[in-house]
Amino acid sequence: MRETWVIGAATSRFGKLTETGREAASRVALQAVDSAGIDPKRIGYTFVSNCFGVAEHQAHLGPLVNTALGIPEVPSATIESACSSSSAGLHEAYLHVASGLDDAVLVVGAERLSHLDTLRATSYFAMGADYPFETRNGATFPGLYATLANAHQKRFGTRSEELGAVAVKNHANGARNPNAHFQKEISLSTYLASPVIASPLRLYDCCPFSDGASALVVAAREAFPRPPSEPLVVRASVRSGSIADLHDRPDMTGLPASRVAGEKAFRMAKLLPNDIDFAEVHDCFTIAEVMALEDLGFFPKGEAARAAVEGTTAIDGRFPVNPSGGLKAKGHPVSATGAAQVVEVFEQFNQRAGRRAVPRTRTALTHNVGATGGSCSVHIFSRRDD
Amino acid sequence: MGHSIREFEEGYEVGRRLLAFRSECGFVTATWGLVCPRCGVRDLAELPLSGEGRIAAFTVQTVPSEEFVNDAPYAYVTVDLPEGGRITGWMAGVRTEEELSIGDSVHFAPGYRRGVQFERGSGASRRD
Repeated sequence: MRETWVIGAATSRFGKLTETGREAASRVALQAVDSAGIDPKRIGYTFVSNCFGVAEHQAHLGPLVNTALGIPEVPSATIESACSSSSAGLHEAYLHVASGLDDAVLVVGAERLSHLDTLRATSYFAMGADYPFETRNGATFPGLYATLANAHQKRFGTRSEELGAVAVKNHANGARNPNAHFQKEISLSTYLASPVIASPLRLYDCCPFSDGASALVVAAREAFPRPPSEPLVVRASVRSGSIADLHDRPDMTGLPASRVAGEKAFRMAKLLPNDIDFAEVHDCFTIAEVMALEDLGFFPKGEAARAAVEGTTAIDGRFPVNPSGGLKAKGHPVSATGAAQVVEVFEQFNQRAGRRAVPRTRTALTHNVGATGGSCSVHIFSRRDD
Repeated sequence: MGHSIREFEEGYEVGRRLLAFRSECGFVTATWGLVCPRCGVRDLAELPLSGEGRIAAFTVQTVPSEEFVNDAPYAYVTVDLPEGGRITGWMAGVRTEEELSIGDSVHFAPGYRRGVQFERGSGASRRD
């Protein structure tokens, strides 16, 4: 397998797009190509993610993006894996480049749902679940993660104040991110006063419905040895799956797909959790960050809830988590999220993260979950050795 | 498992019964599938369910999806079945999380409107 890098990355501001998902996808794709310093014609394949394009009466986005970029002859495919769509696209891109099929591959994720009301958007988000066996029985997406939170609280005594500390931390980070949907700090009392959406989860436990787009250029070191920015060396690119329905899994206090993907990724990278300097993990709800840190082996099971309270996962803590603000504050434009996590790593590695810069940037991990963990991606990046 | 998803839905909404299957390895599921996700066998035997169960986890949802817009708040419950495995459903009229606990007894209340609906059971709570 060839050494594979991320050499270009770009994102829109998350929140409310004033243009279509198609326009945003094309715009950030061109920005990512420009940041990689390559001619668009060097792209060999484009993987596009746009789960809810149908909400804009649009499918088959790949040829539209490629045509907008002036490369209509480049093949494309749409990659859908719910909230982990564009990290699944990144995995496909990695396989294309590492195997030698292509020298450079474009990964794009975009979503626009802000033109829908909350009820309709809630229904769209629930499409990642099992319609006849979860959604039709009343589950919303917050409801499914609330089920996990309820089970986690029962087994480990996880407190609302601990979940609140995750929200407070990620809002503080988002306040330092000019591309974040929410750039406003919140206090624990604000968190505790927010209304219950799906008990025990309150409004400030939940990520927002965001619009946004993010893009990456993945390339072979041997084909592009001198990119203009510090590249991310892809040390591991892993996808995993598990039983789709939460209730059919033996344990509801974590996501087995996260655990499996994490174990495989650390083996592939020949690294241990202690070797990772910072992480962007899938915090669609505060409990999701807690479970991710436990499932990935950064904390023993039942002990990650304390991390945000104790400052361990703050930007200046021992192990910064979600310096971008995470899905929680940066926002969660479903198909853009996985790529956006990598954009954050790219910015951090290139000292372009401003006030949210983490102290150490030798290695980083991104973790992106599809729905309640029926699918999952874990990527590990490091700086180049030379 | 030769059944269709429609048979599950008609089971609880028309036939007033819950459908579940057990594979040779003992895995029980009330979710449609073709092969046991644990042991891989295709010979899944239909398992009669009593309709009783205990809450394994729950949430009280105040923001529903569109199909439940007139029912909120309500509880979405994950129920441990005495026959093995779990099933999900919803409970009308539950307004706060203090009204339920993990381990509470519930029973299937068929034919109301949609999905699998549960009501409070007569069995004692097991709040272990």
